[in-house]
Amino acid sequence: MTQAHSRTQAPRPGWLEGRSPGVRLARHSLALVALAVLLVPFADLAVLTRDPWAELARMARGLAWPAWGALESPLEALGLTVAVALWGTLGGMLLGFPLALLFARSRLIRAGCAFVRAIHELFWALLFLQVFGLSAATALMALVIPYAGIFAKVYAEILEQIPGAPRDALPPGIGRLSRFVYAELPLAWTRLAAYTRYRFECALRASVLLGFVGLPTLGFQLETAFREGRYHEAGALLWMFYLLIASLPWWSHRRLIPLLALGGALLLGPWPALEGGLLWRFVSQDIWPPALLEGDWRGLIEWLARIPDLGPAIGNTLLLGLLGSVGALLVALALWPLACRHFGNPLTRLAGRGLLVFLRSTPELMLAFFFLLLLGPSLLPAWLALALHNGALIAFLVARHADAITPGMPGVNATGRLAYELLPRLYPGMLALLYYRAEVILRETAILGMLGVATLGYYIDANFEYLLFDVAFFLLLVTAALNIAVDALSRRLRPRETAIIDDPCQR
Amino acid sequence: MRWLAASTVVVTLFTQGVAADTFRFTAIPDENQSRLVERFSKVANYLEERLEVDVEYVPVKSYGATVTAFRNDQVQLAWFGGLSGVQARRLVPGSEAVAQGSEDAEFQSYFIAHRSTGLERAEELPEAIEGMSLTFGSRTSTSGRLMPEHFLRQRFGEAPNELFSRVGFSGDHSRTIALVEAGTWDLGAVNFSVWEAAVADGRVDTDKVEVIWASPPYPDYNWTLRGDVDARFGEGFSEKVRTALLEMDDPELLASFPRKNFIPAHNDLYAPIEDVAEELGLLR
Repeated sequence: MTQAHSRTQAPRPGWLEGRSPGVRLARHSLALVALAVLLVPFADLAVLTRDPWAELARMARGLAWPAWGALESPLEALGLTVAVALWGTLGGMLLGFPLALLFARSRLIRAGCAFVRAIHELFWALLFLQVFGLSAATALMALVIPYAGIFAKVYAEILEQIPGAPRDALPPGIGRLSRFVYAELPLAWTRLAAYTRYRFECALRASVLLGFVGLPTLGFQLETAFREGRYHEAGALLWMFYLLIASLPWWSHRRLIPLLALGGALLLGPWPALEGGLLWRFVSQDIWPPALLEGDWRGLIEWLARIPDLGPAIGNTLLLGLLGSVGALLVALALWPLACRHFGNPLTRLAGRGLLVFLRSTPELMLAFFFLLLLGPSLLPAWLALALHNGALIAFLVARHADAITPGMPGVNATGRLAYELLPRLYPGMLALLYYRAEVILRETAILGMLGVATLGYYIDANFEYLLFDVAFFLLLVTAALNIAVDALSRRLRPRETAIIDDPCQR
Repeated sequence: MRWLAASTVVVTLFTQGVAADTFRFTAIPDENQSRLVERFSKVANYLEERLEVDVEYVPVKSYGATVTAFRNDQVQLAWFGGLSGVQARRLVPGSEAVAQGSEDAEFQSYFIAHRSTGLERAEELPEAIEGMSLTFGSRTSTSGRLMPEHFLRQRFGEAPNELFSRVGFSGDHSRTIALVEAGTWDLGAVNFSVWEAAVADGRVDTDKVEVIWASPPYPDYNWTLRGDVDARFGEGFSEKVRTALLEMDDPELLASFPRKNFIPAHNDLYAPIEDVAEELGLLR
């Protein structure tokens, strides 16, 4: 690139040229956006608006005048939502921590963790539903298993990054356990705790989503009320959830956790009778093609031929994933200053934080439905829903990060502070977050099948409904493989220099 | 392997022996699923009185989950849609459709269209729907998907995604109505009783969306009972369940389904549904 300038004595890099980290990140991001723009023609983005206003007005009225009285035992649902999230996180932690210690050493563990992470909580729930029915066991396993994989990875990365000096200063002959407890764990503790706290918020959202498949958390009534157009009830439930998320810093104090955990344990239920026969039938018969079990190879080929169009489904999934990620980046860039202490006044910040809570806590499915009414059926509502939800989440984390920074340039106005001080310091971390989030976005494309966008998840959901568990399971394996591939790719593409600000506490 | 299978059989027998005391049922009404537990606990109380065993209502969200619960013996009696009933009875040999609503013997689907399509109500599905967009209800709904798709194929000889520019699954009848009213989809296929109730309550603006075709009648919702209940709850138990359902006359209880009353049913009534489902590849 600099060859064109080689004749001049002091080569002045042109626009977007050069090797400084900032410019490289800019090139990287612009390439990502360009790729998305290039692929847009392949996406189905027709806009069709006729008269959505009556329905949208009903939705707005529902949110403005929530019908608290119409809910059936809302406090119980709220309690169960928290209990499932808390015990799901605790279980994931207990399983994930030992795995994290072995993570760097065992390829098998890394692969296993990547696999369990790659399947959406809702699909885990649909799998366990077949064996444990609508019970607390299904809800907990649906969170514990993928979270164990996530914790294993992130804890391992945190432990890897602690400084080695205290460990090296220990006299020889110190046992492995003592070394870990006295020289390693204390250094990692705050970051481990911070990450666990963040994951708990994710668990709360997931716990609500579990209601969508029938577990009696907040999502159970929320989904039915919303689906049937009883927006005043849906509004009340949504408000409950927004308040729950917004008040999280106050009620999730670490001293309260044992109390919450105990209370939650009493709320969890019902517990299924352990039915080994069901489990055995499910893992030995239901999820395998009948032809495979009979050893009928020709039958197996016929079975494969009847699998819905895999190519277009994978294409749609990847396209939506990419568009969603790029959209999330743009949304995050636009929204984070709203909630950051360095900009605006207390009132605008409160509004900004409220907006971020609203966008990141409203289930994507509902955002998607809103845009479906507004823009008609296509990929567009799904794209907007994914971009806004995930963008708001990234913006929230970036704003939290920015709050910890003390600006060092006095006398600069807000625009200058944003452009010359904060953004340059935050952007690498933001991009890193986006790459982690891309994996999640890809998983979430799965649950937007309602829009008629034929992603892999659309077919998985359909086959669970048709009770064709073998097809659903096969498609789940395909999805998991795809997720693992994208994860590996995004880890390779992720700009290296982000490691400086890379904070695993925010993945 | 054999050892494992044998031990699981033992475990299953043991746990079933423990769980045998309570008779559990589930039901998903085709509209208004608010306050399910409260409403159906009253039905549970009624059944408890008539059957003289403990009866419990299990709230379930989707027909898929209902079939699974029925198959796994987590419920012994279920109020199914036409297709889910067939699925369940195939998976649990010996189970019987014991009753249906009086409306269910001659159930219908309506095709509804947004006013801007210019379609009028007709005796036959108009050719003009070709190339428009259509939303079904839930994928496994008999009245919102299975039978509408069957009638479409019968009329046009094509699969819906060849016939229409775009096909969606709204997930619910009320939502189908809302989406067609908003013009998001040109056409929708909907359960006739949900439509009639929405019109009667003024929840739908008939200047924007109207019925363009009513399907021929077919059998739909039914109560299905597992075949092994006599062995578990005593001789003649299934007959007692059937009688209790048929004699349910409290309007408040019936309104939960919502049905006027229940009439006898048997498995063969649903053979047409089974044939259509096989033809569409929803059963194998």
